[in-house]
Amino acid sequence: MEVLCREYWHANQEGSGPLLAATISPIAPPNYLNRLDAIYGDTNAASISRDISYSLTKTANAAIQYPNPEINSWTEIYSAYWYAIGAILAAEHPTTKPDWTKVYEAWKDVANTVIKGYSGGVLEAWTLPVLYTAGKHLRAFAIKADENARASGGDTSFNAGGLQEDIAGDFGKNEKLEDAARVINRMFTLCISDRAPLEESRKWGLYYTTNLLFKTYFKLNSIGLSKNILRALSASKTDMPTLEAFPRSHIVTFKYYVGVIQFLEEDYAQAEENLTSAWHMCHRSATRNIELILTYLIPTLLLTRQQLPSSRLLSPYPSLGSLFAPLTLAIRIGSLSAFDTALAEGEHEFVKRRIYLTLERGRDICLRNLLRKVYLAGDLDEEGKRNTRIYVKDFAAAIRLGESGASGEGMDVEMDGSAGENNDEVECLVANMIYKNLMKGYISRERGIVVLSKNGAFPGTGI
Amino acid sequence: MSSHGAFTSVSARRTFARPTPAPSTTPSPPPSAAEKAKRDWPESVRHYVQRAFATENTIASIPRQEMEIKLKKIISNSAENNTLGTIDWAKLPLPQQMILEERARPALLSANPPWGNGLEPLSLQETNVKSTDTLSKKRKSSELDLSQNGQEKVPPWRIANPRNVFEDRITHPDKRQRNDVAGKGSSKSHHNLANRKKRFEDGQPGYLSQQPFSPSKASIPPDVDQGPVIGRSQDLEKRYFRLTSAPNPDTVRPLPVLEKTLEFLKRKWKKENNYSYICDQFKSLRQDLTVQHIKTEFTVSVYEIHARIALEKGDLGEYNQCQTQLRALYSQHLGGHPEEFKAYRILYFIHTSNRTDMNDVLADLTPTEKRDPAVKHALDARSALALANYHRFFQLYLDTPNMGAYLLDMFVARERLNALSNICISYKPDVRLRFFTEELGFESDDESARFICDQGGQSFLEERDGEVRLLTGKALRFFETARNAAFKKVDIKGQI
Repeated sequence: MEVLCREYWHANQEGSGPLLAATISPIAPPNYLNRLDAIYGDTNAASISRDISYSLTKTANAAIQYPNPEINSWTEIYSAYWYAIGAILAAEHPTTKPDWTKVYEAWKDVANTVIKGYSGGVLEAWTLPVLYTAGKHLRAFAIKADENARASGGDTSFNAGGLQEDIAGDFGKNEKLEDAARVINRMFTLCISDRAPLEESRKWGLYYTTNLLFKTYFKLNSIGLSKNILRALSASKTDMPTLEAFPRSHIVTFKYYVGVIQFLEEDYAQAEENLTSAWHMCHRSATRNIELILTYLIPTLLLTRQQLPSSRLLSPYPSLGSLFAPLTLAIRIGSLSAFDTALAEGEHEFVKRRIYLTLERGRDICLRNLLRKVYLAGDLDEEGKRNTRIYVKDFAAAIRLGESGASGEGMDVEMDGSAGENNDEVECLVANMIYKNLMKGYISRERGIVVLSKNGAFPGTGI
Repeated sequence: MSSHGAFTSVSARRTFARPTPAPSTTPSPPPSAAEKAKRDWPESVRHYVQRAFATENTIASIPRQEMEIKLKKIISNSAENNTLGTIDWAKLPLPQQMILEERARPALLSANPPWGNGLEPLSLQETNVKSTDTLSKKRKSSELDLSQNGQEKVPPWRIANPRNVFEDRITHPDKRQRNDVAGKGSSKSHHNLANRKKRFEDGQPGYLSQQPFSPSKASIPPDVDQGPVIGRSQDLEKRYFRLTSAPNPDTVRPLPVLEKTLEFLKRKWKKENNYSYICDQFKSLRQDLTVQHIKTEFTVSVYEIHARIALEKGDLGEYNQCQTQLRALYSQHLGGHPEEFKAYRILYFIHTSNRTDMNDVLADLTPTEKRDPAVKHALDARSALALANYHRFFQLYLDTPNMGAYLLDMFVARERLNALSNICISYKPDVRLRFFTEELGFESDDESARFICDQGGQSFLEERDGEVRLLTGKALRFFETARNAAFKKVDIKGQI
């Protein structure tokens, strides 16, 4: 116990939140690998709380007055922590079957004692990293516990109430993580409801707890809940420090999540802003985070600015490269068949990342590039002006060319491109180009031609 | 029902405002009933009216209008007879109770009244009319049921015990009244009575003043979640009640009976097409399955059939409930038609423009499922719309497997408007109406012209050289506005 208590007083002396948070870390530091074993072996369930309270007092530099709420609070926290260590050590023991549910429950006690410490006004704002550590690991253990339960439990359980009319209740098996989300939500509330002056307010913990909630909601596939949090944040905007005043790591994560939420809601302009700023602020060596940001920023820019990622951008991130390169290439050369193949092959990964439905729209850009080529292949007149009247059948032939080799079905365009009746789908695609302002001009159906605008037929492409 | 209470009661009193011209002894009726009630009627009459409209006194099986008519009659009669002051209004049965009494009397005398009580024959008619003019391209739920697991033969139990069927049909939700009048009741109706009483227990403690400690509590097992009930009821039909206590085995039908029930209901649906009746029966069927923890292929087919019927009738709420359950049931590989319903899910999410859920569906699809014709059709329709390829979409629309057309019809108008504004912006100066008819999946030029006129765009149609043409350039802004409005409102009912 003395180890733990000395760490505690040291952190207090330094006034360092991170050091204090380290005292309840469920992971041993690299320079003290058997820290957990040492703490756990130092006492037993019968005398744990007496031991801690005694050691905390003994290791204090100054005389401590009784009753001391701070000592009481920490005695509770460390007792819960001690039990949690026991569960963790048992779970990590190589010969036994790990019981992460037990670990989760034990850690939840730690989190709850920490929350109690704050809500009782005992723990000060500088100790917020303790709250972060409690929350962060709560989420991690919950995920493990759920995985555990999924692996062992087989079938869907019946409605617990037995009074509903239907057979199955919730069939998502994320019981612990949902529970964890509730606990983390309390942490968020703890921060947002603090009315102390800003210097000593828990409001500084807002973005960390928000990010933790976002992470949890994303994992639970209930992204919609994030909006409640965003609403709460914007409601108390006036008595909060500005976002810029928070630690950079909090800002980057927050902007990333907000950007992704906007991306999913198809608010691409806002998404672009937030993701771009997250990308610029992200630490250079945080490769994984940069990859995550780019995963959404690349499809966003494809739609908002018709921009494709350069190979230079992708080269430091091989996984992103393999994700986007085939699609990017297909769009660049205007090959519809390559695009369709790339989209189909990447579908699994794209869907998993929730970018499939956005990337799919890249086909418009791909088609635009193809039609642009048809235009560029046209003759110049004496004055060096390009022919702006293009037969629909010429576009049809180009599309057909791109489709050949790919799946047999697809466009109902005849190979020689002569038939007028079967070009309806091509006309439809051209109409879309015009509608989306990727192409300027109009279709004259009777004559079977597309009349392109004399200047700027393909906006944004220099033609 | 009670949520409508405040609203309907106002209109009720308006009708009440013009009673049959009363003799000179009663004051001439003022225009507003509400005012009148406050001003002229004796205190006791006003209390009576208030009680009649009070939500705690409403009886589910009696439509409010019927009660109002009765109420009006009672009061105008007594006004005519100059008995307004002599009747003991406080003790006079409420109009709804009188109606119940009147209903119960003939019901007990003759064996033939249907389960209907004024409501059902009406809806029966209506649904019959609808079913005849439903588009031929859509399959009916009854077709599917029968082709999949229905047999057509008169079941033995129907001949053997027809009384059983009727006895059950004459039940009214409120057994109390009937018992008072007839002085008899089956154990089942006792159970329902207890259920109803219990329902009031929470809200109104005073309701059971005679039995303060509610002896019915003794019958509730200490733990509701004890495990499956084993049913003993042999009734084919049963009205749906939301359970508020542990189910009583006497009113729960065991699997063999439920199987017969399903066949019975399928036939009845095909014959009568009465949705409110069928929906109610299916809900009680589902409830019986749940309380007995029956999770088999039969369960799946019950939910599938109910979902199809709800789809056909456009009851998205009920449809969604079934879909949610089916999703759980399919995950346990109990058989059924998972691909058919996956396809519906996809089409439904196109309708609600729900990208998050759409993404989840896509993530869940296996390669085998993607090759299924119905799923493939839905996926193709989705991607055609995602790329605004209306040409492809409307080709798919005309060739929809199963009952997907009912779902597609929910948003086809929206997509047509989208295509229309698309065409208006890119074609100049005009296009033939024929072109719309073909591109937008209309069945005839008439139909497409009607669509344009229904949107209010008739002024953009012009006849020239024996052809109807749409002036695209002029119509553009108009259809843009209509399109934007159509995409704005997607109401989501139920949940998935």
